[in-house]
Amino acid sequence: MPAGRPGPAAQSARRPPPLLPLLLLCVLGAPRAGSGAHTAVISPQDPTLLIGSSLQATCSVHGDPSGATAEGLYWTLNGRRLAPELSRVLNASTLALALANLNGSRQQSGDNLVCHARDGSILAGSCLYVGLPPEKPFNISCWSKNMKDLTCRWTPGAQGETFLHTNYSLKYKLRWYGQDNTCEEYHTVGPHSCHIPKDLALFTPYEIWVEATNRLGSARSDVLTLDILDVVTTDPPPDVHVSRVGGLEDQLSVRWVSPPALKDFLFQAKYQIRYRVEDSVDWKVVDDVSNQTSCRLAGLKPGTVYFVQVRCNPFGIYGSKKAGIWSEWSHPTAASTPRSERPGPGGGACEPRGGEPSSGPVRRELKQFLGWLKKHAYCSNLSFRLYDQWRAWMQKSHKTRNQDEGILPSGRRGTTRG
Amino acid sequence: MSRREGSLEDPQADSSVSLLPHLEAKIRQTHSFARLLTKYAEQLLQEYVQHQGDPFGLPGFSPPRLPVAGLSAPAPGHAGLPAPERLRLDAAALTVLPPLLEVVRRHQAELNPRAPRLLRRLEDAARQARALGAAVEAVLAALGTETRGPRPEPAAAAAAAAATGAGVFPAKVLGLRVCGLYREWVSRTEGDLGQLVPSGPA
Repeated sequence: MPAGRPGPAAQSARRPPPLLPLLLLCVLGAPRAGSGAHTAVISPQDPTLLIGSSLQATCSVHGDPSGATAEGLYWTLNGRRLAPELSRVLNASTLALALANLNGSRQQSGDNLVCHARDGSILAGSCLYVGLPPEKPFNISCWSKNMKDLTCRWTPGAQGETFLHTNYSLKYKLRWYGQDNTCEEYHTVGPHSCHIPKDLALFTPYEIWVEATNRLGSARSDVLTLDILDVVTTDPPPDVHVSRVGGLEDQLSVRWVSPPALKDFLFQAKYQIRYRVEDSVDWKVVDDVSNQTSCRLAGLKPGTVYFVQVRCNPFGIYGSKKAGIWSEWSHPTAASTPRSERPGPGGGACEPRGGEPSSGPVRRELKQFLGWLKKHAYCSNLSFRLYDQWRAWMQKSHKTRNQDEGILPSGRRGTTRG
Repeated sequence: MSRREGSLEDPQADSSVSLLPHLEAKIRQTHSFARLLTKYAEQLLQEYVQHQGDPFGLPGFSPPRLPVAGLSAPAPGHAGLPAPERLRLDAAALTVLPPLLEVVRRHQAELNPRAPRLLRRLEDAARQARALGAAVEAVLAALGTETRGPRPEPAAAAAAAAATGAGVFPAKVLGLRVCGLYREWVSRTEGDLGQLVPSGPA
C-alpha cells in the first residue's frame, strides 16, 4: 500500500451515508448456538472502518425454519445491548443493524458485535476494527555504541493513537548502493525503538526511515542520513573513585578510567562530572573536563557526604566533526568531606589535579600573587601544593588549640581539664 | 496386585497402607505441580478474557460451547471412575492440550500483539501441560498401569481446532474454550492425584 494513502476499506468507508455500500465479505460459518438448533451469520465479518463512519450489518439465522426467526433477536456491542431503534427486521430470518458515527475500537483485538437469540444465547459474532490510518513517524534519532551497532528511536505520528494495531518497521540502506534492510530487534529502548546489532559500515552514509502500517493505510517518515562515526556513544567511565584530599575539608578528588571499548580511539574525549549532597536532588555539573581522567572538586561543604557521577563523550572519533553523544552517567560513587569547626562555603568547581588554578575568587587571586612573586621575588618553590599543605597544617593546629582550651564541638568551654 | 495397588482401586480404602516411598514422593510432587498449574490456569483465563474485551469476562457470559476436536471437558461421571482410569484420562487430555494452546497463542499473536504477558502465559501453559502429562504418565507407570489408550493424535486435534475458527469472534471463543478446558483438566488432575496422596506429613 503506498505510503500516506488510506487503504481500500477506508476509502469506501469515507463515502457519506446513504450512499455507503454494505461491506459484504464472504459469508463464513458461525459458531453453533448454545441451543444447538439454530446457527446464524453476521455480515460483514470483521470489517475495518474509519472513526466517524457508519456500518450496516445483518444477522441471518439458519437452521430449523419453524424456529428460526428474526423476531426477538437483538444486538450487543462490547457487551452492551444496542437500542432497538438501531435494528430492523429485514425479513423472517434477518435482523439488520445501522450504526453511525463509530468511535475508535475499545481494544486492539476488535469490538465484539454479537447477535443474540431471544433467550440471550449467542448466535454469532463479528469483530469491528474502527480507527485511523497511521500518521507520519518523525523525530528519528540514532546512536552507535562503540561503533559496533546502531539503535534508533522515533516518535509515532499523532502520538500513535490510531485505535488499531499499527506496525512500525525501521528500514535502512547504504546511501550510495545496497538494498533496503529491515531492523528486527524492536522495543529495545522503549516502545518505538529498534536495534541493529551488526554488519554496519563506517565512513559511509546510511539512509534510515520508519514505515507505519495498519489496516487502514500506511505512512513513511522522512529519511535520516548519517554516518555511524557521527553518532558514537560509549559506556560510562568505569572505576570512578572519589577520595578526600588530605585533610582539606572542602575538597574531594575524583578519578576514573577511560572507557575501555574505545580506549584506542578516544584521543579527544570529553568528560562531565556531576555531584550532589546526599540528601539533595539537585546536581551540580562540572563541564569541560576535557581529555583527562581526574579532577578535584573544591568549595564543598565540610563533613558532608557527596554522590559523584562521570560521563564521557567520544567526540572527534576517527576525525568525525560531529559532537558525539554523551554516555550514560556512571554509577554514583559516594565520599564525605572531612569535618570542620568552621562552616564551609556552599558551592564548588572542579580543580584539575596538580594544583592548577580554578575559577574560585580566592584561589584566582592567589594565583596572581604567586605569579607576581615568581617574577619579583626569590620564592620559586611556592606553589598551590604548598598552599594546600599550609591549609591542612592550619586546620590541624586549629583543632589542637581548641582541645587545649577545652572548647567542645558545640563551642562551649569545658569545665574541667585533667 | 498388592494391597497398595488395591488401595488405588478403592480411593475410600484405608490410606494408612503405605506406598513405596519413591512412589509416594512422586505422587506428592506431581500433585503439588498440578496445584500450582491450577493457579496458573486461572490466571491465564483471567488474562485471556481481559484482552478479548467485553462481553468476554462479564458475569453470565455464555458463548457457544464450540466442540474442540479431540478434547472435551471431564465427563460428569469422571469422579466415579477407578483412579488409574481417571489418571489415564487426565494424561490423555494433557497430551492433547499443548498443540491447542499453541493454536490459541498464534491467534492471539495476531489479535493482541502488544499483550506479551498473555502470549507468554499461553506458551508456558503448553509447556506445563506437556510436563504435567508426562508426570502423570510416570505415576501411572510406577503404579504398573498402562498409560496408552485410544486417543486422537494431538496434531490432528489442533488442525481441527484451527480449521473451525473462521473469523475473529469464533477465534476468540475458541481460545476461551481451550483456556477453560485447560483449567478444568489441570484442576481435575489435581483432584485425582490428591486422592492418591497418603494422609500425614510428606
